[in-house]
Amino acid sequence: MMPLIVETLAGVFTPPFRRKEFFQQLYFVGNKSLFIIVFCVSFAAVVTILESSFHMKLVIQNDSMVPGFAALLILRELGAVVTALLLTSRVGAGYASEVGSMKITEQVDALKMLGIDPINFLVVPRFLACVLGGMMLTIIANMTCILSAMAVSQSVLGYTPAMFMTSMHRFVQFQDIIFATIKGGCFGAVIPLVACYYGLRCESGAEGVGRATTNTVVVASIAIIVIDFILSYTFSYLY
Amino acid sequence: MKVETKVGLLAVASLALIVLFAYFMGFISPFSSAQELNVMYNYAGGIEEGSPVRVMGIKVGKVKSITFDPNYKMENGEEVKLRLTITINKKAWTSVRKDSRFFINLAGVIGEKFLEISPGTAEASEFSGGDFVRGEDPPRIDQLISQSYGLAGKIIELVEKNEGSVTNMIQQLDRLTTNFNKTLVLLDKTTKNKEVSRLLDNAVKISDDVAYLTGNLRSKKAEETYDLVHKLLFRLEPLDGPALKKFFQDEGVKARIF
Repeated sequence: MMPLIVETLAGVFTPPFRRKEFFQQLYFVGNKSLFIIVFCVSFAAVVTILESSFHMKLVIQNDSMVPGFAALLILRELGAVVTALLLTSRVGAGYASEVGSMKITEQVDALKMLGIDPINFLVVPRFLACVLGGMMLTIIANMTCILSAMAVSQSVLGYTPAMFMTSMHRFVQFQDIIFATIKGGCFGAVIPLVACYYGLRCESGAEGVGRATTNTVVVASIAIIVIDFILSYTFSYLY
Repeated sequence: MKVETKVGLLAVASLALIVLFAYFMGFISPFSSAQELNVMYNYAGGIEEGSPVRVMGIKVGKVKSITFDPNYKMENGEEVKLRLTITINKKAWTSVRKDSRFFINLAGVIGEKFLEISPGTAEASEFSGGDFVRGEDPPRIDQLISQSYGLAGKIIELVEKNEGSVTNMIQQLDRLTTNFNKTLVLLDKTTKNKEVSRLLDNAVKISDDVAYLTGNLRSKKAEETYDLVHKLLFRLEPLDGPALKKFFQDEGVKARIF
């Protein structure tokens, strides 16, 4: 894994820069994943705010702080992590099967024969697209989450958007959205690296591709959760 | 539409969302018309940057920055070392006068800190932007608790040292209270007794009569009577027994007593 990471990072700064491939991948990661991410995080936000309200009422018989707490939870954790996990299952699995199929049909060997570096050709555009796409999708997911939570807090909990914003003001800082975006970028970086690693090591046959895909989703999900812990712990020192 | 355009739109949407978020949360305020004021404290009671500033309970700004200023002295020479730079929006700016007071208060179930400004009087002049003003230091709960502990310790020590005396004092107080209660019961009974009631009624009547008499004594007639008696006594004073007899006989009085 380490040589792949090093070669990919070196490839980011090494020409040729494959602009068209990069935009194609960014379109696949960003635009094509947008609907599923917006749809899923909206429900996640609804559940978060309703559960927070339930627990607050249970403990202190008052949920006036729930909009603030829920918004903070969404910005610091939920938006970035749910987005990354959804991207893993959609993009990571896709990349692993795509690269794995190329590997077992010897297309990767053909690239080498043509003097094209497979890392530069396959991994680097996907890596950059996922980093940037992960950041953009995290921002959009966070804002969607907050809007969903605001809508639910008005219709179910009885807090107007102004009250929601006032409660948010007490807890949310600008760093929260910046750190969430950084997290989104880091999670986005993990997905293509893991997917391409397993794809390039894919064994022949449909079974090999299936195993590569499964391994990618499992390992990338675990990596995202571990990296989330590391980043959250690190960012806690920066507040 | 080209792929690049679609991707570009997504990027622009993301950037726009982050800017809108920052604007609505007040992290950036390009159209702000807020004024700044430096409020000096020696103890700020846990207030933080971004805490709300309120005038008459309405949020009008926030604490922009907190700075340690060890060499600052107020105009009266008082050393005040903590500077809170606050923003106040234009609408509320005219309500903040030079006699306004700046308190640090608590609100909400989680004890959120905020800076409350009492409205000044119309006679006092307005502040200029960036002025320095002395805030009211909030009470230090930790010191209060510490002092309470000290006081409680001293009371315990006092009681332990004078255990016998204190016990005796409490017993005496107890007896005094019992006696006092008994006295009150007796007094209650006495006031309800028929004879005592009559006695009291009579006393009231007597006092009324005495008041009436003394009132008459202050009248003009009474004064004339005093003068006459006085003159009479003055005339009688140099006289002895036979002379008095003669006097009364002269006056036509049969004074057998002489």
